[in-house]
Amino acid sequence: MKLKKILALVLALAMTLALVACGGGDKPAENSGDQPNSGAAAPEAGGTASGETISLTLWGGEEDQTMLAERVEAFKAAYPDQTFDIKIGVESESTAKDTVLTDIEAAADVFAFADDQLADLVDAGALLSIDSMDQPLQAYAGKSVADIKAANVPVSVEAATYNGTMYAFPATADNGYFLYYDSTRITPEQAASWDTLLDAAQAAGSKVGMTLASGWYLASFFYGAGFTTGRNEDGTTTMDWNGTSPSGVTGVQVVQAMQKIAAHPAFLAVTDGDSSNQIAAGNVCAIVSGTWDSISCSDAFGEGYAAAKLPAYMAGDKEVQTGSVAGCKLIGVNAYAENSGWAVLLAEFLTNEESQTVRFEQREAGPSNINAQSSDAVAGNVAQAALGQQSAYAVIQKAGGKYWDPSKSFGEQIAQGSIASDDASVQKALDELVAGVTAPLG
Amino acid sequence: MQDTLVEKSGFGGFFSNFGTAVAKGDWSVKLSLLWMGAGYARRKQYVKALIMTALEVGVVLFTIFFAMQYVPKFGTLGTVQAEQVFNMETMKTEWNDYDNSFLILLFSLFSFVIWFAFIAVWMKNVVNVYRLQLQAESGKHINTFVEDLRTYLDEKFHITLLTLPVLGVVVFTAIPILLLVLVAFTNYDQQHMPPTNLFSWVGLSNFITLLGGGDSLTMGFGYAFVRILGWTLVWSLFATLTTYIGGILMSLLLNSKMVKWPKLWRTLFMITIAVPQFVSLLLLRNFFSNTGIVNTICQSIGLTDFLRGIGAISTAYIPFLSAPGWAHVMIILINIWIGVPYQMLIATGVLMNLPGDQLESARIDGANPYQTFRHITMPYMLFVTGPALITDFVKNINNFNVIYLLTEDVYTTTNQVMANAQAKEVDLLVTWLFRLTQDYYNYKMASVIGIMVFIVCAVFTLVAFNRMTKGDKEGVYQ
Repeated sequence: MKLKKILALVLALAMTLALVACGGGDKPAENSGDQPNSGAAAPEAGGTASGETISLTLWGGEEDQTMLAERVEAFKAAYPDQTFDIKIGVESESTAKDTVLTDIEAAADVFAFADDQLADLVDAGALLSIDSMDQPLQAYAGKSVADIKAANVPVSVEAATYNGTMYAFPATADNGYFLYYDSTRITPEQAASWDTLLDAAQAAGSKVGMTLASGWYLASFFYGAGFTTGRNEDGTTTMDWNGTSPSGVTGVQVVQAMQKIAAHPAFLAVTDGDSSNQIAAGNVCAIVSGTWDSISCSDAFGEGYAAAKLPAYMAGDKEVQTGSVAGCKLIGVNAYAENSGWAVLLAEFLTNEESQTVRFEQREAGPSNINAQSSDAVAGNVAQAALGQQSAYAVIQKAGGKYWDPSKSFGEQIAQGSIASDDASVQKALDELVAGVTAPLG
Repeated sequence: MQDTLVEKSGFGGFFSNFGTAVAKGDWSVKLSLLWMGAGYARRKQYVKALIMTALEVGVVLFTIFFAMQYVPKFGTLGTVQAEQVFNMETMKTEWNDYDNSFLILLFSLFSFVIWFAFIAVWMKNVVNVYRLQLQAESGKHINTFVEDLRTYLDEKFHITLLTLPVLGVVVFTAIPILLLVLVAFTNYDQQHMPPTNLFSWVGLSNFITLLGGGDSLTMGFGYAFVRILGWTLVWSLFATLTTYIGGILMSLLLNSKMVKWPKLWRTLFMITIAVPQFVSLLLLRNFFSNTGIVNTICQSIGLTDFLRGIGAISTAYIPFLSAPGWAHVMIILINIWIGVPYQMLIATGVLMNLPGDQLESARIDGANPYQTFRHITMPYMLFVTGPALITDFVKNINNFNVIYLLTEDVYTTTNQVMANAQAKEVDLLVTWLFRLTQDYYNYKMASVIGIMVFIVCAVFTLVAFNRMTKGDKEGVYQ
């Protein structure tokens, strides 16, 4: 009898423990533990912080860990008067926003992210304004915010700026897309226009790949023709794709050109994120993608590995150079970081000319720093050169949260050919797209 | 015996006991209303008096130092916006004493739960003290503390056992669910995200949005909700029935004497269980994707061109998992492959216990296999596995894995209105809810959908269980 009771008690305990175990959520990477609380002053008041250990946390991509660890050591060496305790955690630049916004106060002090997340992060109050940190930057790093802006290419500074305030340091300027092709099957002249490119691919028995079902790629045709998107302060999106662009092209003509491309037998609509597989499987002889695919492309195309700006297309009787979205990777500082001054200095250090050069050497990430960009190594890189060519037609994409799903759906409809190509149907589809994208948030 | 307390049970009884105790109790019982240890102290139960006093003091301190920071702001969910100043001296950012709407909501709720529990204990305490008074008056023995403790290992052992699990359920299940319900009445979304921004109460407007109050093209929540709810129910019905019937047929087949090496076949089917669903579903997703291996095969044997010729598809591939209709059917088919082995296991177990005498007499009476199945096997199966069938249905309503892993990144809706509501035709309510929180931080709408899922599951379970336990099913199948 007694034994039974003890057993029952143990089981009850075990059940509770199981409940407890299920309830405990896991947090990504390590975090600094103590959070800044309501201005309750610093533990050691007065004086400059020397002598006190400054703890900071840093999140970066998994493949950047070694490089970051090296640069953090260099940072410590650059400020020998201070004692630092810097922890580096793994958080991909592409998902940083999701993790940070889950619990801003528990997120890292300094983190890397892609520039399309900037607006959402700023709206949620997760990023510290860099403009407001001019004083510590001048005092310790010996450069002003204006100096930093001048040292990086304007497009990367624009990508780090929201509503006139700079919120992060540009780290790379290579997050855009262009055309990879196999020069043994396609000549550079053929790669200059979609019509000749597709015909050449068909003649070679291969295909040209591009992702259409994504607001990021889809917009390239519209941006090229002079259409725009924008983001209002309340997080809604503006879009003019159902009208006529300043250069006299109508949205209907752009869609009809895309429909013609998508309907070509040699066109392959790639699912977003599937490009590496398509390249490796040998399904394509040309593909629209970015620097992240440079290795798969050079492996697959071998000697024919080449890259160029995106091909032009015919909108009505006008030739239009396909535009693109210029992307940057940024390093920002958490607005709720306790040691915000040193966090800003660390972020600045990780994005200065020397760090960007190291980043390119180790990770082939195209620098945004003007001096680092002009080095011979960068200029000689096939993918970087193509990115440079395309950058003349690239714009910073400004869009609110309602932009992505409707535009993705629109791209899929073009890829599947489910919109009739007569003017009225296309105009109606565009009107619906614009209504959905510009809808108020709810 | 007029001096014993006739204790009544149930909710009403609890309050009437309390009323009797307050009315008829002596001064020490009445003092217990203020000082919870009073009654025990008078009966010389000093340890209990101490514990109750400590509990009372604890709750008062909790109220003053913790709850009062949050509960007074519960009505507005906070008014002080966060503001920061950088201090060049310390190289640190300094903050004002800002409000965090989410913490106010969470800790207010927590305080309410504590207070509610405390009031229950406080009332029970008065009743207990009154019982002590009656015992003392009738000259009965009053337990010492050690004797009291011992009862928790004997006649009150169930209380000892249940305390921890009940606590666990309250902390890890009840509070989160109540929080979810509260969030559904606020505007907690990406524009109102703590700690930087505040959110506030908005009444029923989220429910109105979901149930079709919004403009259809720009909002689309009502439009999407009806369609997703419909598909969720259709999916659960088919997923449950197909795997159930498939599992029974499969196990009958494997039990049949005509099948050779039944163990080998059974093991082969078990392999789908042994491989984690996560892996097998992602693999299948890649097999059936637009450029996957199945499409390549269909292309080379000319099936794709044939289908295009008769107008069944308009694309250069077969949209197994990327067009409505096709994807719906494929998901149910793939689920059969995943789910049948589980049902087969259960059915095999039940069939082994099939009463042999009935089968025997059926055979003697000249019943054919179909008649035996129809009138003996199936009723018996239904009788035994009925409750499990209901659980399966509810589980399928929330079957996140199959739907999410098979369609995420593959399926893109071509319906603009669905896209505007961040939904897809193949979404279940639960996958829609997941994406709304994960990708769009739309916690308010996700909470409303969560409540809807809860209502659907609860109503179905109640109705089904009621119907099942009503009739004397044992008699029916005997």
